[in-house]
Amino acid sequence: MDFLKYKKLYYLLSSLLIIGSLFSIIYFKINLGIEFTGGSIMEIEYDLDRPSPQEIRDSLSGIYLEELTIQPAGEKGYIIKTKEISRETYEEILLSLDGARENYIESIGPSIGKELKTKSITSIILASMAIVLYIAITFNGIGIGKIKSWYYGIIASGVGFFHDVLIVLGFFAVIGHFFNVQVTVPVVVALLTVLGYSINDTVVVFDRIRENMIKSHALDIDQIINKSLKETIGRSVVTSFTTLLVLFSVFFIGGETLKTFILAMIIGISLGTYSSIFLAGPLLSSWVKIKEKNNNKNV
Amino acid sequence: MSKIGYKKISFIFLLIGLCLAFFVYPDPFNSLVDLNITEKPFKLGLDLQGGTQLTYQAELSEVEEKDKEERMYGLRDLIEQRIDVFGIAEPLVQVKGDRLLVELAGVVDPLEAMKMIGETPFLEFKEVEEKEEVTEEMIEMSSAYNVIELDRAEEVLSQVNQGGNFSELALTYSDDYASAQQGGDLGWFKKGTMVEEFEDAVFNISKGEIKEEIVETVFGYHIIQKTEDENEQGEIRASHILIKKTNPEDFLYSWKRTELGGQHLKTARYGFDNNTGDPMIELEFTDEGSKIFETITERNINKPLAIFLDGKSIIDTDGDGKITSEDLYAPMIQEKISGGSAIITGENSIENIRRIVSRLRSGALPVPIELISYQNVGPILGMESLTKSLKAGLFGFVLVVIFIILIYRLPGLLASVSLFLYIIIALSLFKIIPITLTLSGIAGFILSIGMAIDANVLIFARMREEKALGNNLKNSIKNGFERSWPSIRDGNLTTLIVALILFFIGTSFVKGFALTLIIGISVSVFSAIIITKVFLRSFEGTFFEKIKFLWK
Repeated sequence: MDFLKYKKLYYLLSSLLIIGSLFSIIYFKINLGIEFTGGSIMEIEYDLDRPSPQEIRDSLSGIYLEELTIQPAGEKGYIIKTKEISRETYEEILLSLDGARENYIESIGPSIGKELKTKSITSIILASMAIVLYIAITFNGIGIGKIKSWYYGIIASGVGFFHDVLIVLGFFAVIGHFFNVQVTVPVVVALLTVLGYSINDTVVVFDRIRENMIKSHALDIDQIINKSLKETIGRSVVTSFTTLLVLFSVFFIGGETLKTFILAMIIGISLGTYSSIFLAGPLLSSWVKIKEKNNNKNV
Repeated sequence: MSKIGYKKISFIFLLIGLCLAFFVYPDPFNSLVDLNITEKPFKLGLDLQGGTQLTYQAELSEVEEKDKEERMYGLRDLIEQRIDVFGIAEPLVQVKGDRLLVELAGVVDPLEAMKMIGETPFLEFKEVEEKEEVTEEMIEMSSAYNVIELDRAEEVLSQVNQGGNFSELALTYSDDYASAQQGGDLGWFKKGTMVEEFEDAVFNISKGEIKEEIVETVFGYHIIQKTEDENEQGEIRASHILIKKTNPEDFLYSWKRTELGGQHLKTARYGFDNNTGDPMIELEFTDEGSKIFETITERNINKPLAIFLDGKSIIDTDGDGKITSEDLYAPMIQEKISGGSAIITGENSIENIRRIVSRLRSGALPVPIELISYQNVGPILGMESLTKSLKAGLFGFVLVVIFIILIYRLPGLLASVSLFLYIIIALSLFKIIPITLTLSGIAGFILSIGMAIDANVLIFARMREEKALGNNLKNSIKNGFERSWPSIRDGNLTTLIVALILFFIGTSFVKGFALTLIIGISVSVFSAIIITKVFLRSFEGTFFEKIKFLWK
């Protein structure tokens, strides 16, 4: 199978997805969870038996509530956190909950500190640089001087971040807007996981390319890349398939509260596998070709 | 190593695995065998297990309206940092108006929780504020104080009337230090020496009599006892107990809080003066703090600057060994101080100094806080939901094992056992350390499991290639591991680097994720490379080697 033959198609597909995601992120904005924005906190108490959290969720299903967390408090109460609600909505909630007594309702600030927000950007930049550096060192001096060792690193982190993570974010911007699904801390954790997974995946593919570069001097770049992809696709598919097996199991038969988290992982990991095979390799090839063209122009 | 060696080692691994499984999840074992191994439970995070919710009230009355929010959020960050020192606690800290909600996982005893949050020292620097004239407010304030003082005087008077020893009471309560030492005795004095109200009272009672009412003068409230009648010189002798009054003029000079506070303190040390050998405290301010300190000292040259810790003087100044409301530490500022460090001298008790420095170092807060309530709270993600997910995850994992065995046959089976051992080892580590497991921690763990599977798959894929080239089992294994190692190494190392960066720079849930990932990767590489290899090699040269079907 020639992976590089339809590379323009893959580029087109991915570009569409990336542009679409950027558009939805900017236009729909990301629907952030309470931990990021703050919201309302209320505490209610029951005199007799208190219902289970699921029962409370069911009672409140009629009211349009953005992101609800229900936490048992003490023996008889519940602490409920939602996005900012009006007094009327609060009255509605109290009415829907039979036998509940109001304890208090107040505004609550975000639980994610400013520090984390600023540090996140720093750590991502540093991490990307570190990856590029590491790969540049280990892949140093690899055969056909046309592929500089740091190309690999940049493609690996670039694809991981600007493709896999970005598209998942775009997806969440869309479902956030239409279905009110929020980007909560677990979703961000899922994104981190996807990033790690994607990087790992891409590096393994590149490693095979590197090995083949050393072994087969006779072949040209495209042939080497193709050979490598052919050899690694089996493993990539098996690895993602096994991970997806677990994820799908939890998605379909697991609990309610983890569904968004699992969904983010499923999309991200599928994208990650696709990108390591159909984007990373071809991108390498394209980069080299462009460089060659430039060099020829100069010559 | 001979093949018997590998078999033995395999067996040892299995045995260790069994013991650890025991440790991680003793229930099934307890029911089988009649031992009662006490279970050490996993430390689960708030989202998985719930814990304690503490509510702290912040004292914001002295903070300007526009600064309030910033202070509360600064407080939030600081408290979160305090609890999450090793990145293993992942507390939930939120601002609720002028209160702080702190949720800690699993900690049930509020005293334990308070210990984790630690001391909350409140550092203030106050300068003298001179007001031009007596204001309404000052008059009101002094009246208020005087009501209290009058009450006190009445209290003492009743003690005297009940037969209390005048001298002793004077020694204890009188604010007139000099006479108090003499049991309140003022000595002999003539008419015209004392103020009018005092004179009127004392000259009209008889010897030994105690004036039955409190006498108010400009000095305060007096309880007067005439001790000797008029002598030839026209003098009489009396004793008194004075409870000082507060005058509005006293408020002309007051201590005003400056912008310099605990949040500007970088660190505190104790040391000894080079010349005198006296102990001293050294305060080091942050960059911002240094600038503020410079401005404050500049505008207070030849004026005192008072330092308060938790509303009281920072050190003991009256030599009684204790820091009470009587102490006041307000050294004169000689010159503008740049460079951001201040030295506090005058405290002689090393113990006090140590205590002060340790409290300052634990992090002075931007506002004082007080615990007002606490309660237990349940898990955010819901127990039922989590149990369901856990079961689903296990089901998925079983599917994975079946799948791997189907594809890779015997090596697949061995990989599954190796994976299982990996999970057990990692879980044991999580229990032993202990790491608070939250959803992000588990996500990091899941990622590392995925990478462990990946490593195994890489090895097997290589082994197949080697076999296809005609190698025997021994060489297939050897080459398989050798050739796949670079990929495994690079993949795992790059992810490890990212995890390390996330761990050191990130906070709260990012740290939790990174931590389990770091541990997971480290252990998984070990399990994939060593454990799987040992298992595989124990089959070398055995009967099983020949069965093609097992290996494909």
